[in-house]
Amino acid sequence: MLVIRPLQETDLDDLYGMAEKAGKGLTTLPADRGLLQRKIERTRESFNQRCAPEAGLYLFALEDTVTARVVGISGIEARVGLEEVFYNYRLSVTVNASRELGVHVRTPTLHLSNDMTDTTEICSLLLAGDYQGGGNGLLLSRCRFMFLDEFRKHFSEKVFAEMRGVSDPQGRSPLWDALGSKFFDMEFVQADTLSGLGNKSFIAELMPKYPIYLPMLPDVARAVIGMVHDNTRPALKMLQAEGFNFNGLVDIFDGGPLVEAFVSNIRTVRESINRHAMVINKPIDLDVPPEHRVMICNRSFRDFRVTTLPIDCIGPDVVRIPHDVAEALLVESGDPVRLAPLKEGALSPMHPLRGQADEDEKILDRLRNYRSRHAQD
Amino acid sequence: MWQVRPANPDDLQQILDIAGSQSARLSSTLPNTETALAEKIAQSQSDLASQSKDNRPRRLLFVLENTDTGQIAGTAGIDTRAGNGQPFYNYRRDYLIHASHQLNVSRRVEVLYPSHALTDLTLLCAFTLRPELRETPAFELLSRARILFIASHRDWFSNRIVSEIQGVQHNDGSVPFWDSLGRHFFNMDFETADRHSGQLSKTFIAELMPPNPVYVTLLSEPAQAALGEPHPLTQPNYSLLQREGFQTGCYLDIFDGGPVLEARTDSLKTLVTSQQKTLHGSEGPDGETCLISAGEGAGFRCLLTPVAETLADDVKVPVSTWRALNCNAGDPVRISPL
Repeated sequence: MLVIRPLQETDLDDLYGMAEKAGKGLTTLPADRGLLQRKIERTRESFNQRCAPEAGLYLFALEDTVTARVVGISGIEARVGLEEVFYNYRLSVTVNASRELGVHVRTPTLHLSNDMTDTTEICSLLLAGDYQGGGNGLLLSRCRFMFLDEFRKHFSEKVFAEMRGVSDPQGRSPLWDALGSKFFDMEFVQADTLSGLGNKSFIAELMPKYPIYLPMLPDVARAVIGMVHDNTRPALKMLQAEGFNFNGLVDIFDGGPLVEAFVSNIRTVRESINRHAMVINKPIDLDVPPEHRVMICNRSFRDFRVTTLPIDCIGPDVVRIPHDVAEALLVESGDPVRLAPLKEGALSPMHPLRGQADEDEKILDRLRNYRSRHAQD
Repeated sequence: MWQVRPANPDDLQQILDIAGSQSARLSSTLPNTETALAEKIAQSQSDLASQSKDNRPRRLLFVLENTDTGQIAGTAGIDTRAGNGQPFYNYRRDYLIHASHQLNVSRRVEVLYPSHALTDLTLLCAFTLRPELRETPAFELLSRARILFIASHRDWFSNRIVSEIQGVQHNDGSVPFWDSLGRHFFNMDFETADRHSGQLSKTFIAELMPPNPVYVTLLSEPAQAALGEPHPLTQPNYSLLQREGFQTGCYLDIFDGGPVLEARTDSLKTLVTSQQKTLHGSEGPDGETCLISAGEGAGFRCLLTPVAETLADDVKVPVSTWRALNCNAGDPVRISPL
């Protein structure tokens, strides 16, 4: 069974192993023991509410209960840009027009902005290679929306995600080569790593502050602005299905897009329902395809847990939970739980009867037969 | 004999011929259409006729004339107030230091700022000369006559004086600075923009120019190399102005990135070394060749003449010079050594 839970001190080795395998692409989780250790500590403080809500970092671990190992991680940064400065480029348009000459020119322009300051970011998604598929990525990503929904007052109304921009297999970014490198005197990978390590003040010191007119950049650089890395396309698709949209901001280094959504509009949030737990002793076959599973979470802040259950377990008032799952979720009979769809286009707990249309037809048929028999009498 | 005098409407056709020739592309401030040029000559005449000492912008145009043949061989202009009551556009080339203590990196970042700082300064402009005269004293006469004019009408002019030098343009007509920057915003080729600049009000520049500073490092390499570089054809003019005391500053032309030369008006060499003298006749064409000017406003004349100096504030020049200057004995003249 795969269960989402807050990250713990004991997860450091697993986390480091994953970060090492992930390589350079993941700037928010560099393979640096000290840094990961600090992230775990921040996470513990946040879940134990020993820090200000806006300073919170909520990292979730996906644990395989069989091997007791962490196989995935995802996170929520409660607020960005409060201690350091959070930079993006806003992709906007400058218009120069002369009526006298009949000229009207639109120049796409990048403006340096701090617009995301004080906004909640979802970040740090990483899933071990041998666990990819089978809805595990969806669980790892979407569990965060259940947490956001449950504890909205800790987060901003709007949340965003930074998507990784285009770079080649050697880690060269066309936008960096055309723009950043002219000001930073370093390789993209190095700058990106420094930024991930939290040494952000150098950005403010070296960054060009005036707007950048895009026609002055080479075509290859312009072409990648607002585009995602091939490896990030599935993640982008997943967020788009949740209702996230490009908000006009791009990463200052690689030009990757920012997508954002209001928490109340996120599909997982809109389509989730409350039930009470009914722990049953009869075992249930949990191994059903992701289309037939839903996410289920307890309602605890400190000991937040999420896993998946077959959709058949949902009743009108209660959800039937096998003994071992209830244990993993830390719930007992009568405890409130929350359910949300796992996969888009599949069954949703809001419409549990959709799959039973045949059953309804059978009932109607019986009714018709009954009536016709009586009519003959 | 070569003489510099204010342009008049009869010169129109001959000036048009010069303005149309390739060698004359040294300044866009000389229009090359008949209507615009006629207007410019008319304005110069009326501005010269007004003897008031106010500071209103005047746009003056002088011609180099062969007094024997009546042929016009060049033009030179002065705008008493650059921009002529409108903003005068330049880029100011400036530097910012981007430094990070943390990374121990320090970097000089070059930036072009749109600027109006030169507005209302006196501007030397519209300088054109037939190519065959470029190596002759006539060239010096034409250029420096303007400074003698400034010396005798000092109230009309500001304390600082500037001159735009044409920037790099390749033989195929392309201008690297324009192609890397201006073209994206004006959506027209250099020739068109240049023509508009000479003829239209400067409003279109305000409307179309990029409103924010521009990082030099993002310009194309040929454009970066062209910053502040004079066109080879302007070399004689460039050197002459440097000898006069003009220096390159941090201002550039917004179209071709050519340098803007700056000087203090009262430090101009011709102005400092020129002397006011009283005119007397001499027997023959003896003495050192000097520039000599006389007359006010529309009556201004300047030519080259042998000068025999006496100890008093008198100069002796040949009678032919008197005639050309429309002067008589005892009239005040201004001379400056060649």
